[in-house]
Amino acid sequence: MVGNTRIKYETKEQIAYIGFGYNNDKAQTVLDQETLLELADIVKDVHAKGRELKGLILHSVKPGCFLAGADIKLIETMQTESEAASGAEKGQLLYNGIEDLAIPTVAVVDGPCLGGGLEMVLACKAIICSDSSKTLLGLPEVKLGILPGFGGTYRLPRRIGLPKALDAILTGKMIKPKSAYKLHLVDAVYPKERLMAQALNHLKKSPKGKSLKETLESFATENFVTRKIIFQKARESVLKKTKGFYASPLKILDVMEAGMGKGRSGYLALEAQAFGELCVSDTSRNLRHLFFLMEGAKKYNGPKSTHPVPDLKRGAALGAGTMGGGIAWLMADNGMAPLMKDLNKDALELGMKQSARNFYGALKRRKITQDEFERKQRSIVPVTDFTGFQNVDLIIEAIVENLEIKQKVYRELEKYIRPDCIVASNTSSLRVTQMAEAFEHPERFAGLHFFNPVHMMPLVEIVTHPKADPATIEALYNWVIKVKKTPVIVKDGPGFLVNRILMPYLNEAGFLLEEGVSIKDLDNACLNFGMPMGPCRLLDEIGIDVAVKVAKIMHDALGERAKSNTSSKKLIENQFFGKKSKKGFYLYDENEKEIGLNEAVVSALPKSKKMDEIDIQMRVFLPMINEAAYILSDGLVLRPSDVDLALIFGIGFPPFRGGLLRYADSEGIDRIYRAIESFSKSVDADRYAPSPFLKKMVDEKKKFYDL
Amino acid sequence: MSAMKLRDVYLVMGKRSPQAKAGTDLKNVGVPYLASYLVRHLMDSFNIPSDVIDEVVMGNVGAPAKYPNIGRVVALEAGLDKKTSAYTVHRNCASGMEAMSQAFVKIACGRADLMIAGGLESMSQMPLIYNKEMTDLFIHLMKAKSLPEKLKALSVFRPPFLSPIVAIEQGLTDPFCNLNMGQTAEILAREMNITREEQDNFANQSHLKAIRAQSEGKMKEEIVPIAVGSKLDKLLEIDTGPRANSTVEGLGKMKPYFERVTGTVTVGNSCPITDGASAFLMASEDAVKKYNLKPMAKMTDFHFAGLEPERMGMGPLLAIDGVLRRAGKELRDMDVVEINEAFAAQVLGVLRGLKDKEVAKRFGLDKAWGEIPEGNLNPNGGGIALGHPVGSSGSRIVVTLAHELKRRKARFGLATLCIGGGQGGAVVIENIQ
Repeated sequence: MVGNTRIKYETKEQIAYIGFGYNNDKAQTVLDQETLLELADIVKDVHAKGRELKGLILHSVKPGCFLAGADIKLIETMQTESEAASGAEKGQLLYNGIEDLAIPTVAVVDGPCLGGGLEMVLACKAIICSDSSKTLLGLPEVKLGILPGFGGTYRLPRRIGLPKALDAILTGKMIKPKSAYKLHLVDAVYPKERLMAQALNHLKKSPKGKSLKETLESFATENFVTRKIIFQKARESVLKKTKGFYASPLKILDVMEAGMGKGRSGYLALEAQAFGELCVSDTSRNLRHLFFLMEGAKKYNGPKSTHPVPDLKRGAALGAGTMGGGIAWLMADNGMAPLMKDLNKDALELGMKQSARNFYGALKRRKITQDEFERKQRSIVPVTDFTGFQNVDLIIEAIVENLEIKQKVYRELEKYIRPDCIVASNTSSLRVTQMAEAFEHPERFAGLHFFNPVHMMPLVEIVTHPKADPATIEALYNWVIKVKKTPVIVKDGPGFLVNRILMPYLNEAGFLLEEGVSIKDLDNACLNFGMPMGPCRLLDEIGIDVAVKVAKIMHDALGERAKSNTSSKKLIENQFFGKKSKKGFYLYDENEKEIGLNEAVVSALPKSKKMDEIDIQMRVFLPMINEAAYILSDGLVLRPSDVDLALIFGIGFPPFRGGLLRYADSEGIDRIYRAIESFSKSVDADRYAPSPFLKKMVDEKKKFYDL
Repeated sequence: MSAMKLRDVYLVMGKRSPQAKAGTDLKNVGVPYLASYLVRHLMDSFNIPSDVIDEVVMGNVGAPAKYPNIGRVVALEAGLDKKTSAYTVHRNCASGMEAMSQAFVKIACGRADLMIAGGLESMSQMPLIYNKEMTDLFIHLMKAKSLPEKLKALSVFRPPFLSPIVAIEQGLTDPFCNLNMGQTAEILAREMNITREEQDNFANQSHLKAIRAQSEGKMKEEIVPIAVGSKLDKLLEIDTGPRANSTVEGLGKMKPYFERVTGTVTVGNSCPITDGASAFLMASEDAVKKYNLKPMAKMTDFHFAGLEPERMGMGPLLAIDGVLRRAGKELRDMDVVEINEAFAAQVLGVLRGLKDKEVAKRFGLDKAWGEIPEGNLNPNGGGIALGHPVGSSGSRIVVTLAHELKRRKARFGLATLCIGGGQGGAVVIENIQ
């Protein structure tokens, strides 16, 4: 077709080829406006040619990427429910056009085929894919708070059966070629070099009939009664997982259940309408916001280096405690054959246990094989001296939190390492600037703060100091991305970013308890806000002794607004350290599972005072916003989005709210400011002293995301 | 041949794994991992790029079916560059020594500058094998196409078909003279009148010397701890064989194993079957200079010799004779001697041959080389206490020897061992530190 720029359309030997990724020099091909328009014209042309053509092949002219989904910016342009619904309808019509072709149609998938891309190939009669590790199929829309709106909810259950389709659509999971074949999502898997030749064979093949097993399966799932049970179970499981905070999985279930009894057009109408509703919902907007934040975080945006940035290949963990073992695990899992150093065998075995537990978990979940388990776990080299340190590119120190000891170790360490070796400290409470003083070459040093447990927590704070080389920061940033964690760059300061904002959350919780709010009401208020756990439960997790220590550091550094009360100290006196001692605010069993409140603590606290949930929430979340404003005004992070990313990935701030500052923006900065100001009069003048920065924002009528 | 000028060959560093009786602590270690971590340790100990090792040679006897060339797997698992050439050698009990000898020749004649040589053995993982009848049945079954053919192939099955061949047992039986290794030791004991008491005494000393070496922390210098346990979260740092409570009386109570009635060789005065590995980084002088290495020793020479398989335990006598002649040295020049202890009877036989002209003559030597002062022979115990992982022992005894010479600040050392099938191997090294 003349003038095509996004799709290569050609006919060879009476077979039409639609090639996506034409003229695309980006890493991924997405379905943008132009591609969809061109595709509509092409499908029309194929229809017009009728029996002239013997078949149609959909493929990608760009190796390693089929279609990574619809352009999310396209969704952003849809402002109203009806606009979004009609956008979905247009896509549905287009894909119906492909489905309705009388000639054989084969989709040839090499690379990601996601969202709108998968919905398109579902409209083809056959789908074949490559066995490449890049090939992934899935409908991830639910992760953005929407649903597959181009017929995905309609066509997927028809192809792979209702239960499997529900699982794929509700989880948004990525399906690898082998699993896709087992699911009957694709008809065959071939090496990528052989795909196009095989596509011709599949054009000739008539679709396979159902096997006996499949017939039985569909008989079992496609009757009224079992369907009802399937949907009911799915709904229960969704509610359990999302606690009702997310509308889209429930909407997906509504559409699919109601659609079952309807024909194509009726079903698709329901889907389009639901798509419209979800698109304009706050949750979806916030999740899309988060998606863009995450995409943005993939690129380094810190200080620029004038010389080459080192590639960190071999690693070492200094200290084999819980964190050191976790870091060694992360390095081993990423092929860095890390050295792990500690003082003796017993200490080293602690770290090996930590790492083994993580790898063994992966083995049990069948993420790795027994051979891979042995290779990865054995790639950790336990040492009690500095053997091998001259060959290492990155050292992460995770020894005891004591400045003098750390400085002494650094002075010793620097004798054994290359000048270009980067050293990072996993300190959570000490000041990186002071630690840097021990180094002959402080430019190679930075803070790299992991959260516990390393294998679960996605956030890593990269803590800079005045003498750090930009190349050090950039190398660490690239490395954190490589090991599939989310980096945030923050300047050195008390508690860095996450712990500093967490400080008022935990402090205020202590004051609320002292005022007579019950542990249960307090934690529930925060759970109902969407936090993964309430502050008391979180304190148990952190360790109450640790929290008290950190609180003191914060108070010393930040002054009266960071003061804390004494209720936690009383717990420590009673040996209630939290989960690690099996007793804290809650009690824990042998497997560290929570088994209810610690009545000893409950009875020691003042008698119950009822406070409205919303008031409790404001008491704990407002001072966090206030503290974030201080952080921004101090220039500790570059952008408000850093705060939002850090809190979502560091403490599980509810993603559907898009982050702390996005939440503040949506509530209105002036309202937030007035509420803080009023608490400063009614509760405490120091703790709720409004940040001048916030005041300035109100005066200038600015939101955080305007900064 | 003599016209060729040979280069000096350096033993830069040698390390070994802890050794554990088969079926115990090391039984689940994937075979290549017994040695790959040692190679990684050798590389970590110096500033040598991972792509400059010319070759890796590993001795291995069991040849696990999964690893037809285990030397190559060791090299890759150790993180050496993919272009590194690597192979596996087999000279039975001296496989590790054969690996070192090949590296010696290649470096000495200038074909290589940096090599890793050693050996590894998981005797725990030596398999049970289907016997010939069962194997034939499988072959017929695979050829059968139709159901009746298959049934016919199956119909010949008899329960004895399932009686397996124990690979390790077969491996320890000489195919030429059809004697078990223990039976060859009995021959030496009979012919040279080596008494049960002498043997038990020797075995007991092996344990006591090993225990003393452990308690003095000597073994730590040569052993690199290895991750063990079902989750690989424990570290094994020492050999588990040596028994502190070993006594001559206790050993005296054991029944002869190979000749039940008149024999003298027991499980107690023989080496146990064992898992373990050892490895050396070997270098030319050029490489030593280029990478600023501080070698622990020089490898002076080696020698292998054959004799009648039924007297294989005397192999070291011939090998010592050969290597001393090659090196132009006397036995008294050797400050420390390691004779691998396969059987107490066999080591005692070798010592007899060294001092007794008649015995020496019987094995074709034209002189008696003399006695080894007691404190200089296997000063830290030997195979009876530490075990004998067949693929590794040939290099393991050189590791132990090199470290002992270094400790004593002594000069020359000799390591030798008997080889199933009727051979002996020996190496002379020189401490240069």
